[in-house]
Amino acid sequence: MSEPLLKLDGLCAGYLGQDVVHDVSLSVAEGEAVAVIGSNGAGKTTMLRAVCGLMPPSRGSVYFDGTDIAGDKAHRVSRSGVVYVPAERHLFPQMSVKENLILGAYPKRPPSSQLDQVFDLFPRLKERESQHAGTMSGGEQQMLAVGRALMAAPRVLMLDEPTTGLSPLLASEAYNALAELRNAGLTILVAEQQVPLALGLADRGYVLDHGRIGLTGTADDLRNDPGVRKAYLGV
Amino acid sequence: MTAVIMDGIVLGLQFGILGVGLTLVYGLGGVLNLAHGQMAVAGAMVISRLTDGGMGTFLAVAIGIVAVGLLGMVIDLTLMKAVYGEEGEGRTLLGLLLMLGVGFIIDGVLEWRYPIEALTLRVAGDPIDILGVSMRRGSLVASAIILLVGALLVAFFRLTTFGRATRSVIQDENGARLVGVNPSVVRTSIFALSGILGGIVAVTRAMTTPVGSTDGIELTIFALIVAVVGGLGSVSGAFLAGILLGIVSTVSAFYIGSYITTIILLVVCAVTIVIRPSGLLGVRS
Repeated sequence: MSEPLLKLDGLCAGYLGQDVVHDVSLSVAEGEAVAVIGSNGAGKTTMLRAVCGLMPPSRGSVYFDGTDIAGDKAHRVSRSGVVYVPAERHLFPQMSVKENLILGAYPKRPPSSQLDQVFDLFPRLKERESQHAGTMSGGEQQMLAVGRALMAAPRVLMLDEPTTGLSPLLASEAYNALAELRNAGLTILVAEQQVPLALGLADRGYVLDHGRIGLTGTADDLRNDPGVRKAYLGV
Repeated sequence: MTAVIMDGIVLGLQFGILGVGLTLVYGLGGVLNLAHGQMAVAGAMVISRLTDGGMGTFLAVAIGIVAVGLLGMVIDLTLMKAVYGEEGEGRTLLGLLLMLGVGFIIDGVLEWRYPIEALTLRVAGDPIDILGVSMRRGSLVASAIILLVGALLVAFFRLTTFGRATRSVIQDENGARLVGVNPSVVRTSIFALSGILGGIVAVTRAMTTPVGSTDGIELTIFALIVAVVGGLGSVSGAFLAGILLGIVSTVSAFYIGSYITTIILLVVCAVTIVIRPSGLLGVRS
């Protein structure tokens, strides 16, 4: 098997010297979709923030394409090709949809063909092109957050709970869009508590419990695991 | 009355650009630059010393403006490093106190070395009639320069990649980092730009009134009032508030007395905070 594109090795991270994520190791191969599932407070967000550089990990390594990027600043990680879509989205509320997308490609000035690709995936954004991001609905903001990340031409797209604040219908629409991206060959790492959706998208998954990886396997393995079924699928 | 309002607009444009310099730095990093006016006056003193020494006005003005820009950059790269390491209220407070200190130092040095120095830039030529009001050349040139600088600023923020990046840091710093913007680089550049704008304030003001070595604190207070009324972090808000306050200032000076204008401006500021805490066009709630 070839070297994974993204590999977390013994990653620890937390706040005020108190680790929330303990010794997490996982890998994502090129073109693979991987889900990290776990309940609220399991450490999913902290783990992703430590990978993308919004907070420094306290220990461990993050290898991207063979290089250790652990502790790199967020803007460097983003420019290197690991692009993060946080659950709170962090859009630029007083800028138009188009400007948000253009900034996604920073420091480049994107050609309009690249904008069109995003508009093809999310026709809704085309309709709202000149509307301020802050005035859009939750579903539209989610599309914009993913669209803005795509403008950076990511090699790995990391998403934290892309269904946050969305109705069940919009949530499954969001996952349909992600499935389209996966089918186009994009490497995806998604953290999610809506386990059926995440396992529907992913090839493989990891269960994060109290900041530690408990279980790992293919999406089918996890779906059929009695522990997972009981804890996250309610059956 | 028209004449008073025209004077108000001339003054207001200066207020506006003064406020822009303050509001940008605050919007980006939460630092309230209480030395903004003193930095501008320091630039004026550089120009004054250089022209006294026989240097041509244009060169001296250019050097003076660049000097304030460099001062801003140096402050950002040294003193402000400690400030940006803090978060939230701690950052605001530390930034405010450090810049207050810088302001006192500049003020003290200028008062000690050049107690009676003042910069006046004379613009030759007869007054020109505008809407039936005879306007001095100095006022017109100063206003034209500010309008040009304002237009350039708008173009910079709307159309350039770096200008957009600057707005992105003001609106959502983490979002900016996630799209690949390095907030430190933006902050340092904008602190320098703020200094340059301060230098331009000193120069344009010197075309209408003498800029004395100890006028810094007064300018800082005006900048503060303008930025708060306009909405901290909003460039267009600062310009709008500047013009409004300029008119309020000259109208009240004309009808009531100049001794009371600062009080009236502070009252306008206080009323704005009560009615609209985020200012006329504020981006932060």
